[in-house]
Amino acid sequence: MASQPDNMSRRAFLRGSATLIPTVGLAGGISLTAQADEPAPNLSEYQPVFFGEDEWSFLLAACDRLIPGEHAGSGPGALDTNVPIFLDRQMDSPYGHAERWYMEGPFDLDGSPDLGFQYPYSPREVYQKGIAMTQQYCRQEHGKRFEQLDGDTQDAVLKGLEANDINFASLGERQMQASDFFSHLLENTKEGYLSDPIHGGNKHMAAWKMVGFPGARASYRDWVDQHDVEYPLGPVSLNGERG
Amino acid sequence: MTARYLIPLLAGSTLLSSMPAFADTDDIVKRGAYLARAGDCVACHSSPQGKPFAGGLGIESPFGTIYSTNITPDKENGIGSYTEEQFAAALREGKRADGANLYPAMPYPSYANLTDEDVHALYAYFMQGVEPVASQPPKTSLGFPFNQRWGISAWNWLFADAEPFTPQASHDELTERGRYLVEGLGHCGSCHTPRGIAQQEKALGGDSEAYLAGANLNGWWAPSLRAGDGDGQGIESWDTQAIVDYLETGRNVHATVGGEMTSVIAHSTSYLSERDLMGIAQYLKSLPANPTSDDAASTEAREQSTDETAAHLTAAKNLSKGERLYIDNCAACHFNAGEGADRVFPQLDGNSLTNAENPAGLIHTMLAGARPPATSKIPAQLPMPGFSWRLSDEEIASLATFVRGAWSNDAGPVTAEQVAEVRDSLGDTPLSRAPDPNGSLNHEDGGQ
Repeated sequence: MASQPDNMSRRAFLRGSATLIPTVGLAGGISLTAQADEPAPNLSEYQPVFFGEDEWSFLLAACDRLIPGEHAGSGPGALDTNVPIFLDRQMDSPYGHAERWYMEGPFDLDGSPDLGFQYPYSPREVYQKGIAMTQQYCRQEHGKRFEQLDGDTQDAVLKGLEANDINFASLGERQMQASDFFSHLLENTKEGYLSDPIHGGNKHMAAWKMVGFPGARASYRDWVDQHDVEYPLGPVSLNGERG
Repeated sequence: MTARYLIPLLAGSTLLSSMPAFADTDDIVKRGAYLARAGDCVACHSSPQGKPFAGGLGIESPFGTIYSTNITPDKENGIGSYTEEQFAAALREGKRADGANLYPAMPYPSYANLTDEDVHALYAYFMQGVEPVASQPPKTSLGFPFNQRWGISAWNWLFADAEPFTPQASHDELTERGRYLVEGLGHCGSCHTPRGIAQQEKALGGDSEAYLAGANLNGWWAPSLRAGDGDGQGIESWDTQAIVDYLETGRNVHATVGGEMTSVIAHSTSYLSERDLMGIAQYLKSLPANPTSDDAASTEAREQSTDETAAHLTAAKNLSKGERLYIDNCAACHFNAGEGADRVFPQLDGNSLTNAENPAGLIHTMLAGARPPATSKIPAQLPMPGFSWRLSDEEIASLATFVRGAWSNDAGPVTAEQVAEVRDSLGDTPLSRAPDPNGSLNHEDGGQ
């Protein structure tokens, strides 16, 4: 993925920091890879609950650009770890419905970022409208859907969203900017990658294993005074899966 | 015989035949209420949704379900028409007012030691301090031959002797007070003394080695209460203050209560005075411990095993499945040395439930969790969560097997089949529900 200097350097950074955090390794030789009660679904067989077929194709392609996977030779990616499943499930949660958010106006598109989101949409609507606008832009600009573009072009589109170079207002969406959508997509993708597998992403704790995070063990008292000793245990998830 | 009852009647009443014509002082009624707590009458004589003392609790026995009776002073449904003499006969001899025998689910062989003064106070409380409830609990109907209540007379003749309490000269006064409560109202032996072939407690007093030596109770091990010096497991390692703390709050520096004893502490022992509890503790400490087996490890060897397990878990290398499961699920509270934390997390090293021959109580606690009682001295109920949603039968078996052999523990392994059996018997386990990823935390979170 020579076309992905940013992602590669971020990955390298995560890897680098993993040497500061005790690294994961089952030096003991006993295989403790666990049987989860309900094995994580295969992404290819998953039927999205919220996203439509076209939206789903966009998400698969976009997530793969944000955190490229094994196929890029750089460790587990968003698709390897079921991040799109995490996103789909979040859309059906209180979060997706913005159930507890203040959703009344006024909304000021030019308001300071300190003032929080300035659009009347729940995350469900942010994704629906954001994906629709992005697809409309790709058709206008490239004559193709986002997922049909090559990797470099997809990255250019995502960067255009991030920088508001793609103007949602000119495409007909006047209440939300492209960067609003992009920040949701990027933030939620990272969350799905790094959060506990109970939420649908981070399949088999692959992201935790990569960064050396031991998961939901909550018990490190005995390591406070063990200096310069590699932490030998793989992670454990909320559901008790052991890695 | 009758003289025993006459004295309090004459002292407190003007008419022997009318009831309750005498006016007992509030103090006597209060004393009766205290004694009723000591006897934990309410535990059996109330159903979960029912009014106190109105009966109706189904008590499983090997002979069938025995329903407890209404012992409120309601004249039709309760014991409101009992004379004090009839009340005393029910308590001490298991005789109903009509002369029929009570089933020995009622611990009258223990209550037989009650002094006249205490029977009188209890009578005063049940007649004047308890709200009458006009409801009839289900009738007990056991199959033949156990529906033949007359047969119990033979059982009584064999196993129950209504001996009033006589202090032993060899004990000090407080220890004797403890013995009176333990052997009598406390009826500790009902659960903690092994039963014989006729379901009788093998001993009713501390002069026998079988008394309070530990027994299986519906699959749980009700541990030995013989607290004298022994192999150092369970209560044998507790001092008198630890016993007092446990009875008063369900927690001490070693253990936290679980199983049936939770309700005993909640409804009975937590209401007793510290002096009475100290008497109980002293009496239990006076009982020589169960004989140790010949191959029991020395204190030094036990300490060494404890250190070895702790060091192995701390290094966290070459772990068995059970050891890894302990680190992932248990060690945050019970710690690598299995020592727990004073009054908060029970110690697993040397714990009587962990080491019980029958592991059902341990398995039950692992699957369903446990919630200590709220007592006036420690109202907080920091519960242990259950792990039935998180660990499979095989995993619980590996974990239990490890814990029973870890540190100085020396109990046998546990199979997945044993775990499956306990799991099947569990009803709703509110402490063991899988977390809902979209539950309240997510709500409170409010988004990104």
